Amino acid sequence: MNVLTGRGGLAAATAPSAEPRLKVEQASFAYSATDKSAPKFTLGPVSFDARQHELISILGPNASGKSTLLALLAGMHAPLAGRIALDGTEISKLDARLRAQRIALVQQESELLFPLRVWEYVLQGRYPYGRRLRFESEEDCLMAGNALAQVGADALRDRWMDQLSGGEKQRVILARALAQQPLLLLLDEPTQHLDIGGKVELLRRLRKLTAERLYTVLVVTHELNLAAEFSDRIVLLHKGKCLRSGTPAEVYDRATLEEVFEAPLDVDTRASGRPRVTLRGSEHG
Amino acid sequence: MRLVAIFAAVAIAALPLSAASRPLRAAQDADARASAPRVVVDGYGRKVAIPAQVNRIVTLAPNLTETVYALGLGDKLVGDTNDCDKPAAAREKPHVGDYVNPNLEAIVALRPDLVLATSANRVDTVDALGRLGIPVYATNPRSVLEMLDSLQRVADVTGAREQGANLVARLRARLDALHARLADRPVQRVLFVIWDEPLMTIGRHTFIADALRWAGAESALSSDQSWPQISMEEVLRLQPDYIVFAAHNEGARRDLQELRARPVWRDLDAVQMGHVVDLSEEALRPSPGLVDAIEQLAREMHPDAFGNQTGN
Amino acid sequence: MPLETKPETEFGAPRPGLAQRGGSFAGVRAFRPVTPRRLVLICAMLLAVLFVAVVIALRMGTFPISIREIVLTLFNGAIGRRAEIPSDYWLVVFGLRLPRIALGILVGAALSTAGAGYQALLRNPLADPYVLGVSSGAAVGAIVSLILVPRLPGAIQIAAFVGAVATIAVVYLLGRRGGQLDSATLLLAGIVTASFLSAVIMFLMTTLSGRDLRGMSFWLMGDLATPPSVNMGWLYFLLVIGLATIYGTAADLNLILTGEQEARHLGVNVNRVKLVVYLAASVLTGLAVSVSGAIGFLGLLVPHVMRMLFGTDYRVLIPASAIGGAILIVLADTLARTVVAPTELPVGAMTAIAGAPLFIYLMRRRVR
Repeated sequence: MNVLTGRGGLAAATAPSAEPRLKVEQASFAYSATDKSAPKFTLGPVSFDARQHELISILGPNASGKSTLLALLAGMHAPLAGRIALDGTEISKLDARLRAQRIALVQQESELLFPLRVWEYVLQGRYPYGRRLRFESEEDCLMAGNALAQVGADALRDRWMDQLSGGEKQRVILARALAQQPLLLLLDEPTQHLDIGGKVELLRRLRKLTAERLYTVLVVTHELNLAAEFSDRIVLLHKGKCLRSGTPAEVYDRATLEEVFEAPLDVDTRASGRPRVTLRGSEHG
Repeated sequence: MRLVAIFAAVAIAALPLSAASRPLRAAQDADARASAPRVVVDGYGRKVAIPAQVNRIVTLAPNLTETVYALGLGDKLVGDTNDCDKPAAAREKPHVGDYVNPNLEAIVALRPDLVLATSANRVDTVDALGRLGIPVYATNPRSVLEMLDSLQRVADVTGAREQGANLVARLRARLDALHARLADRPVQRVLFVIWDEPLMTIGRHTFIADALRWAGAESALSSDQSWPQISMEEVLRLQPDYIVFAAHNEGARRDLQELRARPVWRDLDAVQMGHVVDLSEEALRPSPGLVDAIEQLAREMHPDAFGNQTGN
Repeated sequence: MPLETKPETEFGAPRPGLAQRGGSFAGVRAFRPVTPRRLVLICAMLLAVLFVAVVIALRMGTFPISIREIVLTLFNGAIGRRAEIPSDYWLVVFGLRLPRIALGILVGAALSTAGAGYQALLRNPLADPYVLGVSSGAAVGAIVSLILVPRLPGAIQIAAFVGAVATIAVVYLLGRRGGQLDSATLLLAGIVTASFLSAVIMFLMTTLSGRDLRGMSFWLMGDLATPPSVNMGWLYFLLVIGLATIYGTAADLNLILTGEQEARHLGVNVNRVKLVVYLAASVLTGLAVSVSGAIGFLGLLVPHVMRMLFGTDYRVLIPASAIGGAILIVLADTLARTVVAPTELPVGAMTAIAGAPLFIYLMRRRVR
């Protein structure tokens, strides 16, 4: 019944307000091989928050804790200390199906065992809304159709999943997440297998969805410049710590980035006012 | 077709509750029912109701077919198995499949009033026939003397008590005569080859081991396993006096010339001395023909006791 | 269901009116592959085929009996007029053919459903009901019973089931990783256990005497010739429980097949589903193997054939596999007992002979 009260808080929070939708307060986590051995990897404490219509990028080198933070945000683990709350309810305390109605995660797609049509795949996003045997209702089909339309993949509906190009597949995976009607949309390196055109296209679309709809979008990425261009705010992780968070201009400090990524970098400001990171020329003569 | 649909469905639905779990009983022929069946205990210790008149017999193993013919009941035999080859007339009888997995329906179709089974049949088969209401008398002889005993019992239940008693007496007399003749002979140590690739022989608790003892021999390998597999190395160490081939397949039959050309085999004393006996596997079934086979083995392995030198 | 309602989002009210659907309505039908209506249609169709197969199986056999006589026998039997039926007909229809068909349906449904379940659980299209060693465990139980109580009817089935259950427990304990079933670990544990048990079987077989050896090798091939002395009602009761349990997870299995991690994020309790499917599929396998031996190929083949015919959705696939397995085994068994009558062939060989060409035809047709 805790969930019920949480739901009440949620409904109130959707009224336009400055109250952040996602609040991460001093959240920390540690992995260990067994219960007794010393923790192998720790994250945090990390704090930041996110509002509706916001697109936030989580940056950091490999092993900086990005995946761990994502797992906490997706509710796969409970933080060891601190609090991660979505509209006032702790994510890890949400029932699995209720959580899936609020939070959607876009990962690299696992290999499909048996061929699946695009619409079948997108309909899977409606699972959290299903009842006992979970036959899809017409409403489910409508929502899935809407989701496909939102990512501009209407035409792909009857294609087989394994016959899509990388960019098409990425859009369909995004559509399945949108079919969940989430409040919080998490994306794990969504641009990884895309060419530069695909990357820009995807981020434009995310930007547009964030602006027009009520999503809060968090993207884990390695792409410093794309993140700077499309994000409202940046969370920079390093060695399990939240080093900085703020607007791209606030976070992109040359000394900090050089220390974090261990590479000689230059940071300048583009005409749009957003920072740009380039490799310092010395090595190329 | 609609009727079929309804009733097949009803029947299948009712099946678990009635037919399959409850023993079924075939209505006996009217004249057979005139006198009450008598209940006997068979070789498995099962109680079997034997009809007073046995006119239609089905046998489920070759040795039983032989037994039925030896009792002079060949004309009452209405069915046997694919494996029943002795006597030749048995091949002409309707078959009910092989003895491991006889076709129950074919047995039912022959309307037997007695089915004879043996330990070679699966217990499931015997059990299923019993549940169908068909009397099954199972034999389970584990030695030569038990074979004579079970022969008499089969004669009793098939209404051939007289013939059975005569037959058993004759066989018993021949065995006793053989025993007397071999009394002071040394026991020959035998490698009894059931299968040659891989090499398999007999254990000491088998029926064949007992038959060997009647023929004045014993298995060179003393094993508690029924059909132990042994290495050529072990055979070389054992150096049996005689080698008896009684393989299932024709290919396993060995003539002396071929054995003398084979590595390791040619180094065996028994092979060098020509002490190799080829026996058909069928000869060692627990049937009256067994005594013939025992006599043949005794002749081969103790030629001097029989006063002739034509052993090979 | 206040929990299901969503706050206002761009999707509008939770239940959009018909007007809102507008032009997309035409597409909605194509969008709903698995409706209860479609499921019922497919099942009805398959049941009709099964019915034809049962009629064929009732008609064919060594004992000559016409359709008319069979109908009369069934009719009189159903209304309890035993006296009207010639005793031979009663024996053949109610004593032999119907129990055999009933056993076949049980085994076919159990193995095919278990196969479909294992394929999802292990995320491996090559998985069959025997891959985790359940049949090997049952075989060990069967051999032990043949050694200890060779003459006790029904002992072999009970011992086989005990062996199967013991194997299920051992493989479960070995197949866990971090307290939950892990597909790869489970598969490995199952394969290793199966190999170990096969070695035990080999060893035990050397202690069996000739007759039991032949009986055992027949058991290992699988057959339906001798209906078990165990009450068929109980067997069907277990079958229905097992089928219903797996069917209850059908929607979850669809997602798990797409990816375990993704399924978790979509709200599936993956650990619970895997445990339930593992137990139910294993018990179904143990059940089938105990009463009929290890009938091969069916549990691998039928789910694939049904996938090709009706798609990969487990909400359809599970009932379709259960009925399809029953159809295939009833037909295969009819062949097995009539092709070279009176000799009976192993039904496992016939399932492969009947099923493999169908499988290959469907596969070729799909690839084009």
